[in-house]
Amino acid sequence: MKFKTVKISEIDRQDHRFRFNLKPVDERILTGVKEAGVVQPLLVILREGRLILVDGWRRLEAALSCHMEELPVFELESRMGDLGAFQLAFFINYTQHRFSLAEKALAARRFLEFNLPAEEIIERILPLLELPPLKKTLEILLEISSLDGKSIEMIHRKDWKQATAELWLRFLPEERNWMLRLIERLTHNQQHELVETFYSVKKLTGVGPEIIVREKGLDRITGSLRKGESAAFDRLLAELRKITSPLRSRLSEEISEKIKELKLPLKVQVDYDPTLEKPGLKISFEARSAGQLEEIIKSLSENFSLNNWDSIFQLLNYRGD
Amino acid sequence: MDRLQIKKVWVDRKVESRPLTRQILERLGGCHVEVVDSLEGVLRAIRLASDPVGESKKNLYLTEQLSFIRPCPCSPGCVSCGYWNIDLDLNCPFDCSYCVLQSYLNYQPLTVAINRDGLERELEEFFQKKGRIPIRIGTGELADSLGLDSITSNAIFLTELFRGKEGVWLELKSKSARIQPLLEVKPPANVILSWSLNPQAVIDSEEKGTASLKERLEAAAAAFKHGYQVGFHFDPIIHYPGWKEEYSQVIVSIFKIIPAEAIAWISLGSLRFPHRLKLLARFRFPESMIYEHEFIRSPEGKYRYPRPLRLYLYEEISQIFSDYGAADKLYLCMESAEVWQAFMQKIKRGRRFIAFPFPWLS
Ligand code: SF4
Repeated sequence: MKFKTVKISEIDRQDHRFRFNLKPVDERILTGVKEAGVVQPLLVILREGRLILVDGWRRLEAALSCHMEELPVFELESRMGDLGAFQLAFFINYTQHRFSLAEKALAARRFLEFNLPAEEIIERILPLLELPPLKKTLEILLEISSLDGKSIEMIHRKDWKQATAELWLRFLPEERNWMLRLIERLTHNQQHELVETFYSVKKLTGVGPEIIVREKGLDRITGSLRKGESAAFDRLLAELRKITSPLRSRLSEEISEKIKELKLPLKVQVDYDPTLEKPGLKISFEARSAGQLEEIIKSLSENFSLNNWDSIFQLLNYRGD
Repeated sequence: MDRLQIKKVWVDRKVESRPLTRQILERLGGCHVEVVDSLEGVLRAIRLASDPVGESKKNLYLTEQLSFIRPCPCSPGCVSCGYWNIDLDLNCPFDCSYCVLQSYLNYQPLTVAINRDGLERELEEFFQKKGRIPIRIGTGELADSLGLDSITSNAIFLTELFRGKEGVWLELKSKSARIQPLLEVKPPANVILSWSLNPQAVIDSEEKGTASLKERLEAAAAAFKHGYQVGFHFDPIIHYPGWKEEYSQVIVSIFKIIPAEAIAWISLGSLRFPHRLKLLARFRFPESMIYEHEFIRSPEGKYRYPRPLRLYLYEEISQIFSDYGAADKLYLCMESAEVWQAFMQKIKRGRRFIAFPFPWLS
């Protein structure tokens, strides 16, 4: 390994064969490079007369945006194979960052492309990546690594778990494309919930996300969601749950309606278990004086003559499908 | 009819020369055999298959088991029926889409405890200490009681161990119809042969490799004719369009061949599963629709049908059993106190039977 200073233009920036780190250049790196230049040399290797970057993409990008022309590098022996060079890059990064699922997927693909036997990836690399040492896991990682750039970027940026990515893989490319625009502003948990619900809806109805949204007249809600209106997420989920959880959606809607019709004083709150596991109602109220208390109790007892209470308990004790 | 498909037998060196090992290897004929020092090598082979759960069901591991008897853990927050388990085999050659063993056993191969003499000793102590409460005990929690019986003959082994023991009921619970050896011995009064039942449509789509409904019922009829008491488990009950008619037909077919008096117990349990199983089985069984049914996440973290639907399933099914005078044989498996109470009211049995719903055994 030789230390030297090279012109940035000498580095072939199109060759990404060793790249798997997806973290963007952040302020910290940028400030560091601006103030002190690139202190930690990049790792390069000579291939067919060109210098290929093995490690240091973020430093290179920071140097470019600071209009630097030269960089310090360690040049690896060119007789070192691609697998050896990649292993070096992998372990340098391994000690410095926690990898996202997308990065793990790209790393697994690189290892395989550089001819590390699948068994070795499964038994040696996957445990390092905190993944179960299963062939199935490797297969899933490889599938993830073949997704389009936008999906990979989302999986990385929102730190998706394997369960979300596995569901994502079951959609067609055009369905993923449509959903990407819908979910990009959501948190990972919200993304998971929506992706899983769309998966169930698709399985139950045989219809993809975009079509079901159109068929059910939900375009306005999805439009709001794309604009970043957070309440639209709950509304969309509630609508889709009419398909995936019809019984609970219907009962909850009816119970809420009956409670509303009771026109209880503002300070009285009626709650029930939204899973419907417990058939009871919880009624709570706040009174700040004996007079207020009397007033609330009076209005509640007047309310008891309404049939709605009975209907609410009937709904809570409903049996059926 | 169910048939064993063993790809390879792994023999733990500790049991290599035991007679039961020899007997099993002989029965398996030309199967590929490897002697190993630990389970690790077996697990390695399984992990390197694309479908490790499926692979675990094709690899047989003959080994020793440290202990055999334990109380059934039931499910947190549910009313326990006081069952006891014997872990003689682990894992099952059948492949039901809803089977919790897929995620519970961590790719454990089909495992047979060769040191079953150890169970004999443990049972002696268990019988002595058990007190006066009637005990129900079985091998069907971490395995199918008859799934590997064609090579182990454990059913006969157990039957003889329990013969004449007072106040203890051994249950052999299965989805297999292979009971011939049990028909060649005098049936002990305390050995119950039981079958998990579902409509044939559910068996076809969700219970790969198991005996058909007709075969299970014929086996139950043969067991009854031979003098055994039988049991039935409607667990998991699956909700789908037309479920009521199809379950009702199953129940009608039971009573065409077996009188209510010959039935020791009937359990009802609706489809439920932990989150881990959903992640795994949803993609192992891409054709199955059961993971897309309507569920709630119960307090213990399992997915279950919502309570209104569960009660509906139980009450409708129990009504049919009532028509045949068999409602008092029913109990619920892994259900909340709320559901038990509502159910007991419906079938007009007092609350006191919740803690031990088998008064006829006392
Ligand atoms: S028969 Fe029982 S133990 Fe075997 S796969 Fe089916 S549910 Fe699981």
